[in-house]
Amino acid sequence: MKEKTANSVTQIRKKKWTVNRWTLLFMASLGVVFLLVFNYAPMYGIILAFKKGDYVIDIRKAIFESSWVGFKNFEKFLIDPQFKDVIVNTLCLNLLSLLINFPAPIIFALFINEVRNKTFKKTIQTISYFPYFLSWIVFGGIILNIINPQTGILSDLLMRLKLIDAPLNLGRSEYTWGVLIVTALIKGVGWGSVIYVAAIAGIDTAMYEAADIDGAGRWGKMWFITLPSIIPTITVYLILSISNLLNSGFEQIYVFQNQINLGASEVIDTYVYKYGVLNKRYSYTTAIGLLKSIISLVLLISANFISKKITGKGIY
Amino acid sequence: MAKKLKGYTTFDIVLIVVFSLLALIMIYPIWYVIVCSFNEGTDYIAGGIYLLPRKWTGYNYLVVFSNAKLWNAYLVTISRTILGTVIALSFTTIVSYAMSRKELPFKKVIYLINIFTMFFSGGLIPFFLIIKMIGMYDTYALYLIPCMYSVYHMIILSSYFSALPEELREAAVLDGAGEWRILFTVVIPLSTPVLATVGMWIAIGHWNSFFDSMVYTQKESLMTLQHYLNRVINSTNIDAGGITLPESVVESMTAEVITFASIVVSILPVMFIFPFVSKYFEKGIMVGSVKG
Repeated sequence: MKEKTANSVTQIRKKKWTVNRWTLLFMASLGVVFLLVFNYAPMYGIILAFKKGDYVIDIRKAIFESSWVGFKNFEKFLIDPQFKDVIVNTLCLNLLSLLINFPAPIIFALFINEVRNKTFKKTIQTISYFPYFLSWIVFGGIILNIINPQTGILSDLLMRLKLIDAPLNLGRSEYTWGVLIVTALIKGVGWGSVIYVAAIAGIDTAMYEAADIDGAGRWGKMWFITLPSIIPTITVYLILSISNLLNSGFEQIYVFQNQINLGASEVIDTYVYKYGVLNKRYSYTTAIGLLKSIISLVLLISANFISKKITGKGIY
Repeated sequence: MAKKLKGYTTFDIVLIVVFSLLALIMIYPIWYVIVCSFNEGTDYIAGGIYLLPRKWTGYNYLVVFSNAKLWNAYLVTISRTILGTVIALSFTTIVSYAMSRKELPFKKVIYLINIFTMFFSGGLIPFFLIIKMIGMYDTYALYLIPCMYSVYHMIILSSYFSALPEELREAAVLDGAGEWRILFTVVIPLSTPVLATVGMWIAIGHWNSFFDSMVYTQKESLMTLQHYLNRVINSTNIDAGGITLPESVVESMTAEVITFASIVVSILPVMFIFPFVSKYFEKGIMVGSVKG
């Protein structure tokens, strides 16, 4: 009876334009106004990609009055000597990150779940979150000092252990990808595992009891119960990572980039920052940004499509 | 597998060893920076400092503390963290509440307008130009306004709000409460865990932000702590900030140890707050996972 009245109250309110509904509309439109200014207006700014707006100081002029040039800005990027490096670095770094930094928190969660001592488990987890709280400026700044070939302790330690003969200069381009992947791992694996630890905690314990009766070992339970149970969570995060494939953590790369490793560390984001923000080549870099946005969107849609085909679950 | 003491197997031992090593790798950089910040500069250059300072000194901190630029950067970061978090959390909460109500007119359209921005963006340069066009470049408002709303946080908050029991709201409606009163007297008091979590995400973002200060400002007075640190890290000079030090101290001081002391000063608040908030981080992620 109570439910019925509640329902009819909502139904009446759904049809009429009451004060409450106007208030809600006002509240929600605050968000829309924000998005119009900070998200949709920049989307309109994309027209710069097809215009001659490089080096134009007056932005209004650049956007509204400069002449159309078609796809010239995109062509300029294709023939740029750095084009190959930028694209290869962006794609490879992110693919590496997808292959290593994406599964790492899952493995971390699966194994931390197997630790029996509760206090030890809690301590390790808490420690592993800490680097996430630090900025890349701080964390990267410390790491750069540790791996410094002259004054840092990494070379010193490896030489004392007789693993290397001469100081190791990790600032050189052949090591850049390795340094970026490993530091991202140290900083992010603990934090990334939280979501999976939470998912594992939600698994019905009856399944493990049943497996015990069937005589399953710890590996068996991990492989046949824990992992399959968190597949939905993994899928959602995998799709999100794929759509993020071209967003190569600007701050991290900015910190580790130097003149020597530029060939291995220049990615779309840093390139756009340098040529757009610092050198005022607005049209040229808007075109590159647009290219990136479109590829990301295509990746997201395909990842979601494939996921729906295989697992029957997508993010939208 | 042979059972050992207390029923611990080889597998358990391996786990403990591996995780201890991992934790060591994660926490050691912090220990290292603290240790070296208390060491004399020229002695640090010689290398080989692992666990404790070799030549203790407190002068590094004296130089850092007497640096007016660092204090200014500290002030900018603290104020933007507090103000920015309050503004962003209030704004996002209000929008999220509206988005959580099924009575919201044009709900589907508004939702779509929100979601689309998660999948497609204008890119860095058009955003940069908009910031310049609306006169926000090189102003303090830059730290508060562009980051006061996030669709991602809105989804998390509104999914939490919509899961609250409907009866409480109905009771308030019968009492003649408007939407604002329902939001402030019913919804917000019931949502403190999720609000604390999202608020903390926002605060951490503000504290660590560096990109906005670097890209959208030029004034030194607007430099954030992270931006200032980046400058200190990349500089080979020591900004002694006008204090006079004994000559022997000046001679043995290097840019590296000053960098370390500055880093330690910048992460002190994080280290202090971390034990209290790390629990919320876990909770919040669980809240976020509900929608997935």
